[in-house]
Amino acid sequence: MKQSSISLENDLVDFSFDGQIISAKSGQSVVAALMQIGQYHLRHDEFGAPKGAFCCIGFCWECRCRVNGVSNERACLTEVKAGMLIETQKGLE
Amino acid sequence: MTACKVVIVGAGPAGMSAAIAAYQAGSKVTILDEAPQSGGQIFRRPSKNLYGKSYASKAEQSRKSVLLEAFDAISQNIEFVPQAQVISAFSGLELQYVVNGHIHTKRADAVILATGVREKLYPFEGWTLPGVLGAGGAQSILKTQMVAPGKRMVIAGAGPLPIVVAAQMIRAGVDVHALANIQSIFAMGKNPMAMFAGKELIMDGLGYLATLLKARTQVLRSYAPIRAIGNKQLEAVIFARIDKSGNAISGTEKTIETDVLALNYGFVSNSELAAMFGVQMQYSELSGWHAKADELGRTTVPCVYVCGDATGLRGSFVAQSEGSIVGRAAVEIFNGISPKSSDTEFAGLYKTRNRHLRFQKTVAASLKLPEGLWDLSTPDTIICRCESINKNTILTALDQGHTSLNAIKKNTRCGMGWCGGRSCLHSVSSMASFRSGIPPLAPVTARPLARPVSLGELASPAEDYNEH
Repeated sequence: MKQSSISLENDLVDFSFDGQIISAKSGQSVVAALMQIGQYHLRHDEFGAPKGAFCCIGFCWECRCRVNGVSNERACLTEVKAGMLIETQKGLE
Repeated sequence: MTACKVVIVGAGPAGMSAAIAAYQAGSKVTILDEAPQSGGQIFRRPSKNLYGKSYASKAEQSRKSVLLEAFDAISQNIEFVPQAQVISAFSGLELQYVVNGHIHTKRADAVILATGVREKLYPFEGWTLPGVLGAGGAQSILKTQMVAPGKRMVIAGAGPLPIVVAAQMIRAGVDVHALANIQSIFAMGKNPMAMFAGKELIMDGLGYLATLLKARTQVLRSYAPIRAIGNKQLEAVIFARIDKSGNAISGTEKTIETDVLALNYGFVSNSELAAMFGVQMQYSELSGWHAKADELGRTTVPCVYVCGDATGLRGSFVAQSEGSIVGRAAVEIFNGISPKSSDTEFAGLYKTRNRHLRFQKTVAASLKLPEGLWDLSTPDTIICRCESINKNTILTALDQGHTSLNAIKKNTRCGMGWCGGRSCLHSVSSMASFRSGIPPLAPVTARPLARPVSLGELASPAEDYNEH
């Protein structure tokens, strides 16, 4: 629900991470929202090693994930939206 | 007279200042940046629609708002392109960039590269585990996302940034279990005259130290992480005391449980676009390969300028002054006017710049890394995160005589992944020089595409693709 412009409360939105429903502040990145629930592991690389956000500003591409079915989106630059489907990637996609 | 078309890459303190100066000098300005908003790393704006508190010093917040307001005031009169990934720099002063799935080109009369720096980290066992972050990256979560990156953190590194990040995280309510620095956190106080030259920043620093002392944060002097442990993500970090050469002293290990390990051992200049333009490059131990430039930001390629941290790490005060100098000089040189450093405006800018350059010498000293840090990894430690290339593979290539960065890259695939070598190549060249005792001789060859783009994006020209 949209608050009046003088309100300093952030709106909340729900999104899905591998089927788990997570509540985040509207405007937040996927990485920031997942860090709030202690989830740092976002991907398995092609050798099976767990990976997650590293540079947090977009150059390292370690936080690649599937967003609404599209592979290789950077979770650190993806803003959460209501109903968004985030999935971890396994190996190269 | 046709207005000079200036294209600036990077909207941080240097790029924003250059844009303001170039606009005021009567040019047509385009400024490209990868981020959704202007500000760069140090003056990052909160993500749109997010509310929260800033944990930076009052002085930094006020400097930030003055520059951002000045930039916003001209934004209607210039072309600011956010979320622009610059992928190629061609002769003829042409830049190619991708925005929102479409490719654009822009030809300029003058190009100003204000591409800043990225974080420098040394590789060690387990550093690829989720939860191990750049300390500047962790700070960017606090600045843009208005939340801390975790509940429990350990911060480690060299120089001032880890101290700043630790204090800001404590202020944000994070349980900071330890701050480990390769030297004393008071080491920068050894040179009072140089410190006074950066008096604005010293007040900030004292405020951050006070926060650490008040929180009774465990400060580990001369300690560095040697191993990160965890199953799917970080659970604990093993630190060891390091000697003057950077070697771990056995028997000094400490294991600390944490969710996040935030690291910063300095910065590396972002210089691939300068290299692609073919400008002469130089190497510094402080910030790696960067374009060589004179006092007006001129490189060895006519009409290609650089300013700020892209020409070597010197901090935001220097970046702002240099941006203002270079933005104006680029336009005046195009118009056939020779910029005079004796002119009062220039003189004031040079004065601020040179004063802060004196201060930056103490920062540079605190970021001088003992060589042994590059050898704290084990043979199995991943060096190139993207291609999963371990240290043993790199050492084997070195033993086979592949000593240049280009040869190591071709023979191991190190640096050929998604990040384009931005996370690993500085480590590789530091490891190679540590082994051979010879400083790096040449940067890796920079070729288009500087950022990963899909064939779909390359084949999807924007409507104005052929207009310059």
